Amino acid sequence: MRKLAVLILLVACKKEAPSNLSPQREGAVTAVEGQKPEVRLIAPLANGDWTLPAGDYAHVRYSPLAQITTQNAPNLRMVTALSTGIARGHEGGPLVVGDTLYAVTPFPNNLIAVDLTKPGGQLKFLYEPHPDPRAVGIACCDVVNRGASYAQGKIVYNLLDAETVAVDAQTGRELWRTRVGNIDKGETTTMAALVVHDKVLVGSSGGELGVRGWIAALDLATGREVWRAYNTGPDKDVLIGGSFKPFYPKDQGKDLGATTWPADQWKLGGANVWGWISYDPESNLIFYGTGNPGVWNADLRPGDNKWSCSIIARNPDTGEARWAYQISKHDHWDYDEIMENVLLDMQFGGRMRKLLIHPARDGFMLVLDRETGELLSADKFVESTNWARGFDLKTGEADEDERKHTGFGKIVEHICPSSTGAKEFVPSAFSPRTGLLYIPAHNTCMSYEGIEANYIAGTPYLGADVKMYVGPGGYQGELIAWDVAGRKKVWGIKEEKLPVYSGVLATGGDVVFYGTMDGWFRAVDARNGTVLWQIHVGSGIVGNPITYLGPDKKQYVAVYSGVGGWMGAVADPNISADDPYAALGVVGAMAEIKRMTAQGGALYVFGVQP
Amino acid sequence: MRISHRLPAAGYRLLLFATIACAKPPTAAPEGERAVVRQPVGPVPGVGELPSAPNPLGNNRDVLQEGRRLFVQYNCSGCHGGRAGGGMAPSLRDRIWIYGSSPDHVFNSIAEGRAHGMPAWGTRLTDRQIWALTAYVQSLRTKDEPEAPKP
Repeated sequence: MRKLAVLILLVACKKEAPSNLSPQREGAVTAVEGQKPEVRLIAPLANGDWTLPAGDYAHVRYSPLAQITTQNAPNLRMVTALSTGIARGHEGGPLVVGDTLYAVTPFPNNLIAVDLTKPGGQLKFLYEPHPDPRAVGIACCDVVNRGASYAQGKIVYNLLDAETVAVDAQTGRELWRTRVGNIDKGETTTMAALVVHDKVLVGSSGGELGVRGWIAALDLATGREVWRAYNTGPDKDVLIGGSFKPFYPKDQGKDLGATTWPADQWKLGGANVWGWISYDPESNLIFYGTGNPGVWNADLRPGDNKWSCSIIARNPDTGEARWAYQISKHDHWDYDEIMENVLLDMQFGGRMRKLLIHPARDGFMLVLDRETGELLSADKFVESTNWARGFDLKTGEADEDERKHTGFGKIVEHICPSSTGAKEFVPSAFSPRTGLLYIPAHNTCMSYEGIEANYIAGTPYLGADVKMYVGPGGYQGELIAWDVAGRKKVWGIKEEKLPVYSGVLATGGDVVFYGTMDGWFRAVDARNGTVLWQIHVGSGIVGNPITYLGPDKKQYVAVYSGVGGWMGAVADPNISADDPYAALGVVGAMAEIKRMTAQGGALYVFGVQP
Repeated sequence: MRISHRLPAAGYRLLLFATIACAKPPTAAPEGERAVVRQPVGPVPGVGELPSAPNPLGNNRDVLQEGRRLFVQYNCSGCHGGRAGGGMAPSLRDRIWIYGSSPDHVFNSIAEGRAHGMPAWGTRLTDRQIWALTAYVQSLRTKDEPEAPKP
């Protein structure tokens, strides 16, 4: 590796980017020094500012900022620690626009604007939206929020009670507020809204309460709803029309979102959109994954249950579906596939391909052609994965181990991964300099029993008795560096007791940042995983680190601390350690966390000491 | 690293004795058993013991089984946990009773609903069903608990 990691910005964006695409202070960068020749980036990187949930539309979570290097990372120091005043799980990450940092808290979803020109994190404004507190009781997996988008002077984000707000980024004044769902039906909104063109894209949570999943577009100027696509039901509701061209015969046919369910079950069919949305500005398509089918007990919903556990491509302006690929039909395990989709052009299998990389909850690294939805490869990235032996690339079907199928009245033991996945929603990062995808992974297994379920609006709709535990091999978490083109793991950093539940950030200085659930924040060498620096913060990390240039033109790294989320909720004193079935089964795997960290939200900022 | 606040069993009993007005009713489990990491050492929040009528159904095995069945059937387990250890809603296995721990307090919490998401079940369930659920909730962590989690 070269010793000089100073970055030369190669502006290689031939196309005229649409005017309001990801405003970047230092210019639109789609190629970086030292980039692997087989990699082509398709959307401007976060470069100075951080204005989108992942920093960039293609969800690579890589910043070319390179002041922090493998040499000086040991000199990282805490610059700011700012309490958010809220105890619950701090998922997602802050935004930085110019001289202001914006943090969105878990419920009550306050927006904290920090003036970066003043020392010590001085408040610029605090916006308090006061969402309906009844939403707290219907949020399945802690009262989290996964972030915001900045566009045209507005910070746009979701409130837990199924509302979306736009706030003036300068003054903190609420510009509009739109109700997008109904908490009395169990709908909440926890995902990070994404702005594409003049549309705000938002999606539902509530797969544990029989919510029928949807994605909607609001007008950025007014908040008015422009389109809404459901992920279950007849084609007209799913916005499937003439331009819908799924690759595999299994995903082709009329009204599959209704006909692959018994009677009206699709009305309670889940397939929510609580994870990330990626956008390809070249093809003008968005890509997102859908959650588990409702109800958890698979025997209560014979059929493929489309479009649950699927990846769907749509036009962001009209909502029209272009293709869909159902990863696992008739889900037996609550494998929500709302994971990030990393968009790259890359030499793959001998030729340049337009890739969609989906490190799946189900333990397989799925690589698709994002133009067609064809599955190009599927490799286990967590060894214990045993629900399927692999995928048939010709049919797109998983080769499932039928002994792991769950159902009524039988307890199926040792299913790996557990419902919480071989990774959770927390996003990976990709470095175009190493060609590696850095995955926050879990090694958790479960026993699963199908039991009765009754739909009562606004209450859980599960029908499963689940108990999770640490998987084989003496560890539960690992940061995995995965060679995308080589289709193999290159290195990993294991965590004995807890899964890795923080997002990952890759940077131009070949330093990768991530946190652990017991509160360590680390800088590691992107090439070999050597831990260069670490610091212990106030509470476990389940948020996503970001990097930005401060007003002093120095590079900083920011992350939330504040344990929580589904697995992290076990740190909440309101959850008992002696019921392994508690919190939808995660206590069995997570009881130890009570001894290792405690709740408490804060924003931390780190920089290199000169 | 979290420091355990666990006291020796004898000392803990003494402390409980000293703060008897706020302690749990006799249905609570004996001290010293497994797995409860956080043991409160001071007065437990809540309204404490007020005069309360006993559960009219009693707490025999059939009543407890019926309560357990209803706990799953009406999705209580989805929020409060498979064996009531909590999740979306607070644990019912710990010592903390925000709205009171006596049979009529528990009955009222189920029937009337509580803030932050607990629905009011008074119009969906019969009194008998609510008393059975009350009996089940009060059996948690005792030797009578049906389908108790294995250590």
